[in-house]
Amino acid sequence: MNSVDASEHYELGAIDLAPSLLTVVIDTNPHAWAALEDSLPLSKAVANILVFINAHLACNYANEVAVVASHSQKAAWLYPVPNSTSDREGDITMNANGAPAQMNKYRPFRVVEEQVTRRLKDLMDSTSSDDLKGNTSTMLAGALTLVLSHINRRTIAWAEEHGGASLEDAADSGAGSGANRYSASNDDERLQSRILIVSVSGSSDSAHQYIPVMNSIFACQRLQIPIDVCKLSGDAVFLQQACDATKGIYMALSEPRGLLQYLMMAFLPDQRSRRHLVLPTREDVDFRAACFCHRRVVNIGFVCSICLSIFCEAPPGGACLTCGTELDIGEYDVKPALMKRKKKKKKPANGTSAAGTPVSTPTPGP
Amino acid sequence: MADSDEEYVGDVTEDEDDFPVARNDRTRSGKRKQRGGAEWELSRTWETLVEGADGTISSTVEGLLEAGKRKRLLKDTTPLQRGIIRHVILILDLSQSMSEKDLRPTRYLLTLRYAQEFVREFFEQNPISQLGVLGLRDGLALRVSDMSGNPTEHLTAIQSLKIQDPKGLPSLQNGLEMARGALFHTPSHGTREVLVIFGSLLSSDPGDIHHTINTLIGDKVRVRIVGLAAQVAICRELCTRTNGGDETAYGVALNEQHFRELMMDVTTPPASYSQKQSASSLLMMGFPSRTVEARPSLCACHSKPSRGGYLCSRCGSKVCSLPAECPSCGLTLILSTHLARSYHHLFPLMNWAEVLWRQASRSSACFACGLSFPVVPPEDQWQVTETHAKGMSVSSRYECITCHNHFCIDCDLFAHEVVHNCPGCQSNSVGASHNESDMPDRMDTTV
Repeated sequence: MNSVDASEHYELGAIDLAPSLLTVVIDTNPHAWAALEDSLPLSKAVANILVFINAHLACNYANEVAVVASHSQKAAWLYPVPNSTSDREGDITMNANGAPAQMNKYRPFRVVEEQVTRRLKDLMDSTSSDDLKGNTSTMLAGALTLVLSHINRRTIAWAEEHGGASLEDAADSGAGSGANRYSASNDDERLQSRILIVSVSGSSDSAHQYIPVMNSIFACQRLQIPIDVCKLSGDAVFLQQACDATKGIYMALSEPRGLLQYLMMAFLPDQRSRRHLVLPTREDVDFRAACFCHRRVVNIGFVCSICLSIFCEAPPGGACLTCGTELDIGEYDVKPALMKRKKKKKKPANGTSAAGTPVSTPTPGP
Repeated sequence: MADSDEEYVGDVTEDEDDFPVARNDRTRSGKRKQRGGAEWELSRTWETLVEGADGTISSTVEGLLEAGKRKRLLKDTTPLQRGIIRHVILILDLSQSMSEKDLRPTRYLLTLRYAQEFVREFFEQNPISQLGVLGLRDGLALRVSDMSGNPTEHLTAIQSLKIQDPKGLPSLQNGLEMARGALFHTPSHGTREVLVIFGSLLSSDPGDIHHTINTLIGDKVRVRIVGLAAQVAICRELCTRTNGGDETAYGVALNEQHFRELMMDVTTPPASYSQKQSASSLLMMGFPSRTVEARPSLCACHSKPSRGGYLCSRCGSKVCSLPAECPSCGLTLILSTHLARSYHHLFPLMNWAEVLWRQASRSSACFACGLSFPVVPPEDQWQVTETHAKGMSVSSRYECITCHNHFCIDCDLFAHEVVHNCPGCQSNSVGASHNESDMPDRMDTTV
């Protein structure tokens, strides 16, 4: 509604382009980081990511950042911390530590650094070895959903403050059109959000989250939020699809030690700058899907024509496991009909033997 | 709150046409029968406004706003069997009567605009479906665009209609016959649907339209009609008979907004009514990966040299675009992302429950976005605030009934309309029901 108001319009013309919100999802799966211990320990990686975040914050005074850890059994906020007394905490911890070296640090840098390291430490401390037994996956879908909720909140809040374009969308949708509420319109006037996933886990670990992950990816696609993936180890089928669908950057690092360099060079530009750049991206994309029955990643599957569930083999009994429809399985997975091998008979004693063994009609059963 | 005035006007007018419909949702079809199809009823929205203690109506307005948001999302989450592979023919009335200006700017231009939106939304929701567009003009059926799965073709075809003028009389029968012809060869595991946007009150047909209706029923074509003028008996009969007696398939637009809603309703895949209506089968499909080769090679589908393409997952031949059928081995090749787009219909996110003050003290901020909730008032004020509009939570908290986390209305809306994931359920692996203490209390809040 502000956009109807004339005075707001003049202000809009005067302000510069909207700031960007960088959200970082750090995959903190301990199993995968343990495997990377020699080349890039987690502490070093986090230090690199913090430098990268600072660089992002330094690009524009209004830039924002959010960090989520996708841990092995839960997804948790690292920054900003919900349910807390927010920014003030930075001061308290500093006073408590009494670290004079921190005094001259640019305040936004310090707040992010302290909160992220502290929350990450809490997260690691709260992880017991029992949690890790037999659990090698990471809660990627949860982290993405949390991040998207945060982006949604920030976009609404930013639009309310500045009377940007999305407010008009919201007003439209207030009149009932839910459909185009989230389809992004003139993007220069919105808060520019993007997601960076620093991923270490393999794809087979996240196959059980196939549907929620894909849901998040489509949400990003609809909101025009690019998902960038920085892959330190393992392969990631679904993340490749995420980058492809949202036009993000996918990079599998051949040398994880150079993480900071990669981050700075490839992932720092925001959407507006990216239009003018030749981006490092992947052209060959793995489009395999996860089956619903065994959570295998397959490239040929059986699809139920009713609900489009994917199965890696014909479901037992011919009933779809998702919707229960009796399915006509057809000719799949049927072994070719075997011809009975004729017994070689040395002596052509009877001419009749050629037509099989002519037996008398079997005795009818009772 | 510089904008509160504006919002107030906007939202009350919205309620005028939305509220009665919401309230009567269950009895809708029954009532319509009695009233002979008139869909509106007089609503006195000004009477529902109650002055707050401070003499303003801001609290009521905020309540209405939130209730409006909430109403949109309280969908039916029963996992119905839906026809996801759809074949739809969109028939647009391009006759004289469309030049009326009762819908702004004209019926014709508005219909074309909504038709384009419809195409976009349709392919968003039904990525592996087919759509075709026909027009009714001068007593003839006009082929606007052929059946295809490519939205841009339809969009340009509809766009090109904008420079023409509506003319002549429409023939419903001709349109239906042409649609039937286009849908005739479609495979039986998909649905066959026709959506007619009909602005006229007559149909000038060459033959007996009842005969056409019978053949449509025989071919299992479902017809839905959005009328722009008034209810027409033959349209009603057509919709009722082809939809197995379901009258909701025929709607007459009250205003621009309602027109849009009626059209967009069709983008949701329809529920399948009988098991035997569609022969279901298990389809073998390949999910090929995209490759880029060092030097160009010929593709198997067009024999054109190209570097990029998709390799069939069974035989390895290269096709240029998906979805396609492998030219050499006949395997259906499809992008798995196309399939995955519809999965939120399969596993819908449950509606979240309102939280009463009694349980509200458990949370102080939204689990997902960290927005602070209003603080719990003292116990004696609980009753006062509980007279809000139905469907909204007194405490502004909404609870996921699986993970029992509390969320704000914006996250509720966002989770149900956009992400289709619950942030709480996805963030904790084992449900993490750690606060079991107030479980019995919670049971009676889930409505």
